[in-house]
Amino acid sequence: MKLSNKIRWLIIVLGLLGCCSAARAQDVMLLVNKSSQISEISAADLRAIYMGTKTRFSDGSHAMPVTLKGGPAHEVFLKNYLAQRPDEFRAQWRKAVFTGQGAMPRAFDSETALIEFIAATPGALGYVSHIAANDNVKLLTITK
Amino acid sequence: MPRRLLPCILLCIWAGALYAQDLAGIEVHGFATQGFLYSSRNNYLSMNSSEGSLQWTDGAISFSDSITDNLRVGIQLHMYQLGQLGGPNLQVDWASGDYRVNDHLGFRAGKVKTVLGLFNDSQDVDAVFLWILLPQSTYPADNKSFLLAHLGGEVYGTISLGHPGRLQYSGYVGQATLDLNGGYVKLFADAGVEFTTAPAGRTYGGDLRWETPLSGLTIGSSANVLALDGTSPEGNLHLPPAFTGVQYAHFKRGKFDFAGEYRRTPLETVLTLGPLVLPLPVDERSWYAMASYRIAEKLHVGSYYSHYVNKAPDQTLPGDYSKDWVLSGRYDFNSYFYGKIEGHFLHGTGLGYFQSSNPTGLKPNSNMLAAKIGFSF
Repeated sequence: MKLSNKIRWLIIVLGLLGCCSAARAQDVMLLVNKSSQISEISAADLRAIYMGTKTRFSDGSHAMPVTLKGGPAHEVFLKNYLAQRPDEFRAQWRKAVFTGQGAMPRAFDSETALIEFIAATPGALGYVSHIAANDNVKLLTITK
Repeated sequence: MPRRLLPCILLCIWAGALYAQDLAGIEVHGFATQGFLYSSRNNYLSMNSSEGSLQWTDGAISFSDSITDNLRVGIQLHMYQLGQLGGPNLQVDWASGDYRVNDHLGFRAGKVKTVLGLFNDSQDVDAVFLWILLPQSTYPADNKSFLLAHLGGEVYGTISLGHPGRLQYSGYVGQATLDLNGGYVKLFADAGVEFTTAPAGRTYGGDLRWETPLSGLTIGSSANVLALDGTSPEGNLHLPPAFTGVQYAHFKRGKFDFAGEYRRTPLETVLTLGPLVLPLPVDERSWYAMASYRIAEKLHVGSYYSHYVNKAPDQTLPGDYSKDWVLSGRYDFNSYFYGKIEGHFLHGTGLGYFQSSNPTGLKPNSNMLAAKIGFSF
């Protein structure tokens, strides 16, 4: 009886750990304005656009990256796609701004505000943790 | 707290509120810092540092706007006080129009930051560095306003090489002007030559950096040619075009960050005082190696060694070299506020010292403690 209790607890703990690791591994969804002709973007291009070294999508259209001001989705995006921490990302853009070499991506307090901006702005590119049906934004697939 | 810091901080807070309200697309950013320096011997960087000095304030505010997808304009105003250098006057740090034809080709014109090595163009942006003082062998704080920017044009771009990585290039031409409140002019003033109009001259150069296929590794090289002429009531200054070459590498992996740089600048400056013609040959060789580690999300520590020697005269004299071991730490209170602390173990008096702030002479070695708080948005 005691053994089965221990096994039960072990299963519960392992289950909780599994949930935690699943939460850590969660990803974000990448969005563009509905008018964009692209449906996928390479990881290298995505990184270059958010690092400021590339300003156009593969079809030649202008790209306007936007970000969340903080939160789990922001951290997951930076870690998974830019291999950066929020403070590194901020420092890099501050350097660009204060040397006159770039303009910081517009940042939003909430995912709702970010989605609304992308829906209203051709070329806008961003990420969210989840999205309801929205006719004015398009999900992007990320390729290697 | 120096009186000048308060309006600076108020300006930043005011501007921060404006930014939050979004001025019809105009981006407003700024920063303000206040430093403290204590040295065991000698007075460093024209501060009264042997008794502890707070005469170390920096602040800037920038405005920029994207006129079209390709055209962006902006201006940054800057003030600094570093001991007897700088002053309360606002200077134009940069003011430029930036037209990017595509990712491979862009142009900037106006007063633009000079790219030279890893950090020249950003050396006044304290918020992006762990260090309070960048390696003084390569980025002397008392003269940063001189090399920081030039009036002219720049062409720049990025070329993707596919698997071999990415190349970033820039080339520029323009005019560089000595800061009348900067270190070089003060050195001449200490020697009795007072410039009332700023010496200036033609400059051109470029930078090529390669983001290698090894993730996190960037290597590069910069070159700069600079000439200078100045007139004062006491005499004339003439520097024929002088070449500076820089090689550098930066490697970043996880919580570790490494960087190193080598710079050489031979100068054949001539000072004419009436009938007297004084050649002032200098052959500056400088390098540094730095490493840093992020202990926690908000805590960052690091160390560097900075080495400077003037090979033209007798190199064994303390006045012809400067060797600095540095330990540094930074804590970010939040996204906007941070604090730094730094220890320096400085050998030699070749950099950062002025006769007027050390009237009784210089000791060859000095230890220093620096601290800084900063705000940036």
